[in-house]
Amino acid sequence: MKWKVIEKSKLPNLIGELAREYEIFAPVDRKSIGSFERLASGSEVSLDSRNTKKPPKDVFIPQTETLFTYKTGKQEVELAAPQVVIGQRVVLAVRPCDAKSFVLLDKFLSSGEYKDAYYKEKRKNTTIVGLACNHPLSTCFCTSLGGSPHGKEGLDVLLQDINDKYLIEPITERGEKLIEKFPWLKEAERADIDKAKKLSDDAEAAVKSKVSIDGVDNKLDGMFDDPIWEQICQKCLNCGICTFFCPTCCCFDVLDEDGKRIRIWDSCQFSCFTLHGSGHNPRPSGKERMRQRIMHKFNYFVKTHGESFCVGCGRCIQECPVNLDIREVVGAISALPTDKRSDND
Amino acid sequence: MEKLEKSLREIAEKLLSEKKVDLIIGYERGTRPLRTTPCFVNKTEDVQKLIWDSSCDNNLAKYVVDRKEKVGVVAKGCDARLIAVCIAENQVPKENVIIIGVPCLGVVDRKKVESKLEEKEILEATIEGEKIKVKGEEFELLLAKNDFLCDSCLTCKHRNPPIQDVLVGEEVPELTEVNEFTEVENLEAMAAEERWNHFNGELSKCIRCYACRSVCPLCYCKTCFVDQSIPTWFGKTNDLSDTMIYHIVRALHVAGRCVDCGACSRVCPVNINLRELMKKIEKIVKERYNFKAGLSLEEAPPLGDFKSEDPQEFIK
Amino acid sequence: MKNVEKGWEPRILAFLCNWCSYAGADLTGISRIQYPPNVRIVRVPCSGRVNPYYIIKALQCGWDGVLVSGCHPGDCHYISGNLVARRRFAVLKDLLEYVGIEPARVNFSWVSAAEGGKFASVVTEVVNEVKALGPAKRLVKVRIEWKNLKNR
Repeated sequence: MKWKVIEKSKLPNLIGELAREYEIFAPVDRKSIGSFERLASGSEVSLDSRNTKKPPKDVFIPQTETLFTYKTGKQEVELAAPQVVIGQRVVLAVRPCDAKSFVLLDKFLSSGEYKDAYYKEKRKNTTIVGLACNHPLSTCFCTSLGGSPHGKEGLDVLLQDINDKYLIEPITERGEKLIEKFPWLKEAERADIDKAKKLSDDAEAAVKSKVSIDGVDNKLDGMFDDPIWEQICQKCLNCGICTFFCPTCCCFDVLDEDGKRIRIWDSCQFSCFTLHGSGHNPRPSGKERMRQRIMHKFNYFVKTHGESFCVGCGRCIQECPVNLDIREVVGAISALPTDKRSDND
Repeated sequence: MEKLEKSLREIAEKLLSEKKVDLIIGYERGTRPLRTTPCFVNKTEDVQKLIWDSSCDNNLAKYVVDRKEKVGVVAKGCDARLIAVCIAENQVPKENVIIIGVPCLGVVDRKKVESKLEEKEILEATIEGEKIKVKGEEFELLLAKNDFLCDSCLTCKHRNPPIQDVLVGEEVPELTEVNEFTEVENLEAMAAEERWNHFNGELSKCIRCYACRSVCPLCYCKTCFVDQSIPTWFGKTNDLSDTMIYHIVRALHVAGRCVDCGACSRVCPVNINLRELMKKIEKIVKERYNFKAGLSLEEAPPLGDFKSEDPQEFIK
Repeated sequence: MKNVEKGWEPRILAFLCNWCSYAGADLTGISRIQYPPNVRIVRVPCSGRVNPYYIIKALQCGWDGVLVSGCHPGDCHYISGNLVARRRFAVLKDLLEYVGIEPARVNFSWVSAAEGGKFASVVTEVVNEVKALGPAKRLVKVRIEWKNLKNR
């Protein structure tokens, strides 16, 4: 299918037409916190040069989600069916790093033996429209994790800002179908595609932050009891910022509240994350919790799903209250001598 | 500044080499512009890492509680007062802490600088005297530091640590004339409903990451009330009622202890101005019990104490 | 009082200390003194036992008003429980008012075991004030009715 273009001034029309058929989620600057929200009108969309402060994961994994409701009687329990998504969704202007997070979340939540029905249902009904990054930030390190500011992984359609227009590139069949709904879109000219190519190359070169991830997974194998965790965790406050702002962190807690079974975001950095009913806590201090986060992202996930559980969006670096920089942590691990592993075995 | 840094390093080196402390907690340069990060030095050769300037915003008092070793802590006025509160509350043995006091003219609020620059990213920044020099792609700006200080610093009345063991450099003049409760008074002047809507709006942004609690040196409870599960007191979802209660109860817990270091507001990733609650608590305690926290190592926290003549006009 | 269901009556939760106010309430009954039946009483060992959580939780659960009552200063069975509580309540009351909770919803009183009449008048006053405010809305956690949950 041919690539298309849309003038920026026409974008609200496109969103308006889309809204008739789809539930639209897009970056909204609400109270100056950029996040992906259900759109009420096209004018709210904020497609400025920066990525949203909050990741788009809550489109699929809301912070609070009711799984089902129940009523207990004297003898019996009455259940009400879980809420299911009705209708189709479009998520608009997802950055390539965040789009990749959906691919990773798919692996984590809806592949293998256990599939998360709530996640899967929403994911199945959603078309992802990306927006290439023309201006990566100094905290971006997507290229170190196999991504790119104009990467296509996880996207159905990719938009790219080429000054006065957006170039529209269909990526999947689903994306093509979406674009077909707008026969009035103009075809892209050679010059548009060249311009986009130039911007992409520049953007790729602008990602200066590099993290050497090679071999970190194997090195971590032997590092469970390494003294390095003690050092890394020293300044960590054990708040939930890095996990809540991470596009891939999706650990949750399940609780019952007033006849509802609810799941909420949880964080491996919280003390009660692993607290047992007996009162025993296998991860009693910051050291174990920090280790868990790093191990999960750069070792366990690599072993089970073949790649790191990080997309290099840099949100944790921007938001961390004590400037605990994940690039430094991974860097410190990768700088350790390679025979480290046999030392500890 | 360089002179201060030099003398700070000398003090740190002396404390370590004379074995007066096992560890120095200070600041080192961070990985981002205008960013410093807590630094833990236990070897004399590492004291060169220590720095001091107006971007040293983290509250290091947080790292003093629950330590076995003897520590020397770099402390601004607010940090020193919080260490004093922790000592008075028997959380830290006095003999285990050496407070390295640093007179402070206020720390820079990165969020203010960032919002001034709107979409432009700061790639490099240095603080030179009264100016902040920020550089980015295709721009370079010189900003007046005093326009970008944290709100809590603007009305701080204890820029010189009231309690310290060693002082780095010389004392700085105190702000005596400022009214620290202007914001609270403005809110008090609103109608109750307006205030309710205001706090609803602010706190509805909360994502329950608990960074405000985690950063607070006074939040040292072994089990926080929101983490209590037998029984569960308040819900952990981001239901507005639960979220408001979390913030109200946290404010109550720091009553008579909070020194307005501003850390909770600074770390909030969704920019909730928690000082609006904390400052009110401070005002209540000041007006009712004439108490200001962190000025003495002995005085009991006012909410664990009483006087027979305490005001009781609200009791029927 | 707008939008109030006809016949609505406020529900007040009262925490009464075992040694004075609870005995005072008992005396009210024994003395056949009339007072509004809107109060549900929780007996506590001392007003100092009343954690501010209890009061906030009561508001969250939808009680229209809360009353905490203890011994007069100097009469506390535990010497000073009520005096420590007094500071705690003062801060709580001021803070709740500041965030926008109607002050009349949170009440404190000293009622001795001999003040049956005072207990009746305190309760009457609280009930009348809360009645004037209408049902509590602020801080109340919204619960969805089962029938609505089921049909969703």
